[in-house]
Amino acid sequence: MSDIILALRNATKLYAGVAAIENVDFELRRGEIHALVGENGAGKSTLTKVMAGVVTLTSGTMQVDGVEAAPRTPLEARHLGIAMVFQENSLVPTMTVAQNLFLGQERFYNRLRGIYIAAQQFLQSLNFDVTPTATVGLLGAAKKQMVEIARAVLHEAKVIIFDEPTATLTPEEKKYFFDLVRDLKRRGVSIVFISHALEEALILADRITILRDGKHVVTDDAVNFDRARIVQAMVGRDLSNTLYGTRKSTVRPAGARVLTVQNLKMAPMVRNNSLSVFAGQITGVFGLVGAGRTETFKVVAGVLKRDFFHGGEVILHGKPVRYRVPAPAVRAGIAYVTEDRKVEGFFETMSVARNIYLGLLAKVPGGRFFLSRREADKVGTTWVKKLNVRATGNDMKVVELSGGNQQKVVIAKSLVQDPDLIIFDEPTRGVDVGAIVEIHELIQRLADEGKAVVVISSYLPEIMALSDRILVSRQGKVVEEFSALEATEEKIMYAAVH
Amino acid sequence: MMPALKAFADRLLGRGDATITVPSFDGALKPNQILEKAETIGQFDAPEDLATDGKALYIADGSTVLRLDGTVTTEVRRFERTITALCCLPDGGMAAALDGREVRVFATPSASSPRATVSDPALNAINALSPGPQGTLIATDGSTTRPYRQWVYDLMERGRTGKVLSLDIASGSVRPIASGLSFAFGACAAGEDVLVSESWRHRLIAVAADGSQRAVLDNLPVYPSRLSPAASGGFWLTAFAARTQLVEFVLRENAYRRRMITEIDPEYWIAPKLKSGQSFLEPMQGAHIKTMGVVKPWAPPRSYGLVIRLDANGVPLYAVHSRVDGVNHGVVAAVEIDGSLFALAKGPGRLLRMPLSLIEQELRA
Repeated sequence: MSDIILALRNATKLYAGVAAIENVDFELRRGEIHALVGENGAGKSTLTKVMAGVVTLTSGTMQVDGVEAAPRTPLEARHLGIAMVFQENSLVPTMTVAQNLFLGQERFYNRLRGIYIAAQQFLQSLNFDVTPTATVGLLGAAKKQMVEIARAVLHEAKVIIFDEPTATLTPEEKKYFFDLVRDLKRRGVSIVFISHALEEALILADRITILRDGKHVVTDDAVNFDRARIVQAMVGRDLSNTLYGTRKSTVRPAGARVLTVQNLKMAPMVRNNSLSVFAGQITGVFGLVGAGRTETFKVVAGVLKRDFFHGGEVILHGKPVRYRVPAPAVRAGIAYVTEDRKVEGFFETMSVARNIYLGLLAKVPGGRFFLSRREADKVGTTWVKKLNVRATGNDMKVVELSGGNQQKVVIAKSLVQDPDLIIFDEPTRGVDVGAIVEIHELIQRLADEGKAVVVISSYLPEIMALSDRILVSRQGKVVEEFSALEATEEKIMYAAVH
Repeated sequence: MMPALKAFADRLLGRGDATITVPSFDGALKPNQILEKAETIGQFDAPEDLATDGKALYIADGSTVLRLDGTVTTEVRRFERTITALCCLPDGGMAAALDGREVRVFATPSASSPRATVSDPALNAINALSPGPQGTLIATDGSTTRPYRQWVYDLMERGRTGKVLSLDIASGSVRPIASGLSFAFGACAAGEDVLVSESWRHRLIAVAADGSQRAVLDNLPVYPSRLSPAASGGFWLTAFAARTQLVEFVLRENAYRRRMITEIDPEYWIAPKLKSGQSFLEPMQGAHIKTMGVVKPWAPPRSYGLVIRLDANGVPLYAVHSRVDGVNHGVVAAVEIDGSLFALAKGPGRLLRMPLSLIEQELRA
């Protein structure tokens, strides 16, 4: 039996004539953890989608256990023993956790109670704290990810592909995940995982493959890599000092108080939360998943509603406001850049230009009556250029862009509204190193221009690199505030968990 | 009919005027323990106000005016009534308000007889004095219905009878600049305008010469009190208590308040205090104040100590705190002399000193 369980030779995939991957060779050994690293648009997702049967190769071959295979659907790939945990989760939001776990494995007669018991036992065996009867749509991002992972494990795949598996996980949950992956490896399962957190690749992987611009750059044992070598191979330039390396030596002074949240309640996530946001500053909001950060700011932006009885107060520019839908919040100058771009950020089958134009229309009452293709193109071109969105043209569908460029479209859609208060929720989740730098520069620029900027992030280095002041949220409320000058990772994490 | 229905719905749902929320201490008001750790340089029986001529510090303690030389206090003068406000004038003089009803102006702090006396029926609860333009004095009168010492009654009755007055020292005439204020408590000239603390509305307003008002600092988490100029521009604003949701709730419950005023000893009212923790009968403020015998600094405060440094536009730069677990509460006055900030914590009767360099060092740490 060959040591190679999965191999791709000269793999090429073209989208409308543009190569997403080109002549890529890839080998996965039996029982190894193989990290796939590269900038957004490097072709990682396409390569793994080929393995998982989501897309088929334009040219080249794929072999599973030495036998040529070309899975055309995820089901065919699953029959070959390949399962994929997607970056943007692929669960059915209206179904329960248990139903999602057993989706595709239904029998003629399903006993719901039996499914729930089996799911409960299975989730407990993985040490995942997810209720099997909960509706998936109501779960947070981390828990959805857990269900995705559990589903792949349940299918007893020989190869499991994880696309950005840890992006939404808290440090504790990451530890569980790493243990789980190592356990799978012990059982002989081969793992391919894509991660932008390079440290994770270095810690977890046996081998690392780096792609750049759809081409294979290097594959080597993880012990032969360090962070600088990976970054250099990924982007062809040295970014190590420009990203999270430097510590802030000065902070921007607070301007006028733009937003005050007072005793906000949105059971069960937000509990009597109070905070302020000032103009000309970046306010970083750190907390573990479930700390109520996203929900607080979604209430501010009118995406969610606060409690009906005694739900607290949101004060914008000194005036109490209450938005039941996002439109009036947008008109009042609040922009919320979502953490879940695939679901809430854009219309994936619409063009880049149209998506950005929609942001502008949202600010105009009855905006749909002013649709203009020419105007959409003009606005789209301006913002594609401004934010350096790498697209073949304005007509390119957003779904065809890489994660980082999709995120830039979502940001452009908000910035086109010329907001005073911009809330970035996990702005660089699932975004490559190159795009992270660009997005960070943009966020800094907005604060320099006097905008009130909020950055919600679960990634501490990001919070520390960006923020002028850091609010730490725990169990639905802000529990601590640090100036960027006094903050340390230890202090912030201590406040977040104690 | 509709306003009544709306008011009912608001009360039921906790919205509109019936929203019971308080802002948090964050940003420039981020809590610290600097005021609590400040050096105590004097203990007094009934301290009320501070004043400085730039060289010496004067303290109004009961009916006496004291001067601080180093750590030694000497009596400068004694009145027959309680002093409710004190200020030094640019020409070297001094003005004092007695019982809130009369203002006496002296050519020097130790002059034997007053240069002028302003005694007008319009004066009732003068609680702060500040030099005004063209030889006038700016005075804040907290209430026309309650004497100064009964400020808590004015709060519980939701008093809105505060005034800002211009006192002409030469003629003894009194001219109201602004009225209908919710306990005006502290004033300081700021260019053409006068900055005024409006305690029950938790804000700082700028009152122009024509009487027009503009909110400078709104929705404070505290009850602001006196103001004084900072040497490097801007102001020092003191706050004698912090807001809590429980007090805000009581302030909306008229029937409850009426009964509380008539039936309960004011010492144990659900109301802000200048000091707390004196008796187990004191009402809780909506949370456990003690855990395992330790007072939680972040618990909703019955009393609090705070001095806020404002820039010339009234924007807070930083603040020094004495939190719930501290004692330096009820700060009613603060002045800056020779690179040090002196604050009067009326609760424990302490005069506190904080070198500005030390404050900045602490805030940087």
